[in-house]
Amino acid sequence: MDLEEFRAGLDRWLDEHDEALRPAFGPDASFDDEMDHLSTVKRLTFDAGWMRWGWPERVGGLGGSTLMRAYLGEALAARDLIEPGIYSMTEVLAPTMIEFAPPALAAEMVPRLLRGDETWCQGFSEPGTGSNLGSLSCRARPDGAGGWRVTGQKVWTSLAQYAQRCVLLTRTGTPESGNRGITAFFVDMDTPGITVRPIRAIHGRDEFCEVFFDDVPVPDQRRLGEVDGGWAVAMDLLPYERSTSLWHRGAYLRRRLADLLATAPGGALDPEALGAAVQQVFAFHARSRATQYRMAAGERLGPETSIDKLLLGTTEQAVYDLVAETVPERVAVGDDPDSVRWRTGFLYSRAATIYGGSAEIQRNIVARRLLDLGSDR
Amino acid sequence: MDAATRALLTGSLRQALRAGDPRAVDAALAEVGWAEALQEEGPAAVALLFTEQGAANAASGALDDVLTAATGRPGGAFVLPGYGLSAPPAETTAGGRLRARGLGTSRLAHADTAVVVTGAAAHWVSTKDLRVTPVTGVDPELRLVTVEADGLEPSESVPVDWPALRAAGQLAVAYELVAASRAMLELACDHARSRVQFGRPIASFQAVRHRLADSLLAIETAAAAVSVAAERDAADPLLAGMAKAVAGRGARTAARHCQQVLAGIGFTAEHAFHRHLRRILTLDGLLGTARGLTRELGTKLIRTRRVPPAPPL
Repeated sequence: MDLEEFRAGLDRWLDEHDEALRPAFGPDASFDDEMDHLSTVKRLTFDAGWMRWGWPERVGGLGGSTLMRAYLGEALAARDLIEPGIYSMTEVLAPTMIEFAPPALAAEMVPRLLRGDETWCQGFSEPGTGSNLGSLSCRARPDGAGGWRVTGQKVWTSLAQYAQRCVLLTRTGTPESGNRGITAFFVDMDTPGITVRPIRAIHGRDEFCEVFFDDVPVPDQRRLGEVDGGWAVAMDLLPYERSTSLWHRGAYLRRRLADLLATAPGGALDPEALGAAVQQVFAFHARSRATQYRMAAGERLGPETSIDKLLLGTTEQAVYDLVAETVPERVAVGDDPDSVRWRTGFLYSRAATIYGGSAEIQRNIVARRLLDLGSDR
Repeated sequence: MDAATRALLTGSLRQALRAGDPRAVDAALAEVGWAEALQEEGPAAVALLFTEQGAANAASGALDDVLTAATGRPGGAFVLPGYGLSAPPAETTAGGRLRARGLGTSRLAHADTAVVVTGAAAHWVSTKDLRVTPVTGVDPELRLVTVEADGLEPSESVPVDWPALRAAGQLAVAYELVAASRAMLELACDHARSRVQFGRPIASFQAVRHRLADSLLAIETAAAAVSVAAERDAADPLLAGMAKAVAGRGARTAARHCQQVLAGIGFTAEHAFHRHLRRILTLDGLLGTARGLTRELGTKLIRTRRVPPAPPL
């Protein structure tokens, strides 16, 4: 299957199955409804084969270019069938499992994620560990019988309230060991000792959670990568977060910009602001498109993806700044479903320069790794 | 173009751009086969030459070559729209004669013929019939001229598509803007690494690092847009206009940050920075400024109410 064949086949299939794939609810749906709908879309696309292309056969995929994964998310977002924030978690978590989990574990688990049978979350950030990931302190100790016991707290863990599994970073070295003393695990969320407390976010959703670990047993078979080798797991995952996922998000932003352009009241759009936002979306598309091709060619993605991440943040905020200038009354005082959606999108867009490594951290990476400006101390 | 050909061509173009004043550069480019490369390789040759030209802060009549080649009849000079304008520089007046108001590159001073474009056709005229005035402006090294002519009688006219011509020229200028921006960033990074204050290189201060990072972001954003807009042999007018606007805006962003980092030395005529600043201020206005093109795009989209299609994966 090549991309052209995939595109033509998928487009046709999406046309034919629009009714089954389209959410039955409006923009005022609950998060539970949205998660249910996401599972439905993943199951239907998996069972029809589309979701399996671009993933290795040893984890239930059908092989082929990763461009097909990029296109599937793009097509679903462009048709407004998914919200890419929750859909694209797969693009971050599945590659980590494929690379670092024992092969039998990856073969057993990854298909459940792809098919939407399970939701997974990513336990990285902690109350004392935001941008400085290497300082995390959630502790994993050997239990004396070959396994591990985890105690500590995670925060900003998206979808933890729905998740069956968690890719978790823990401290296994001394507190001073920094990024050399971190180990990654694949933890069952129903293990006794795990408590999840959702956090209400600014846009009215329980977007993320606090997760508490109280002496939680984890078998060594659930370790991802080497003991004290968790930093490699985290670093390996971040470029994925900035490739396919960003491409999906770009398709979503394009769609929302098109919606604004189609529905804005006459005279509300400022030509210069509109032109600049459209150019920005085009430039992001161009940048991310080149990244998709580099990934598909097997190139190892690195610090240059910080440019993609910075550009996405800038673009998402440019689009929603335009929304806020063009339909301010909908964002501020509208209570109809469309207004609620514009408001939610606007509020959520403020996080685009914060999550997944803040814009400041990305600039630090650009300065050190791409501009060779040396250390910042 | 394979890698070996590309390296060879890049080397000889780079050499030619060092020949001296724009007329000498034109002669050197002719010698190394630039016109043939343009004919055979099209957009790939444009990318190479204008990138080298921007990096070297060189001036030539290569933009005239790109634009005349796009009419199907390469050679001579090409009359550009006035600074900041993107409409055809000429119009037909009573009696079928032409009236032209625009800009010329250094080429116009030593070419025998020039192409002036009206709404639907390219017309060949003698440069003797044009009133040509040198422009000093912010970038005297570029040797631009203003062109005025009334009652012109073309020796020949052929129908052309102005948006397509303009797009070819816009992409060339956009490559040059991106390369000039990279040159400014390189100067600023060199300075930040070597300039010591408070006992450490100023490159170690986050306020400085973030300005330089933002410059690279602006440059890579523009480079990506230009590269996608130039993918096809015939430039798409809409994509080329967007790419030129993004490149012009990116160059101004990079210039602002880099000049601040260069501080005092960047304010002198002894340091190379000012040459690039002068160049990008001028290039931004050739075939439309970032601001003008952006407004033009927005106005059009408000009419059509559709986001323009982007090249698929």
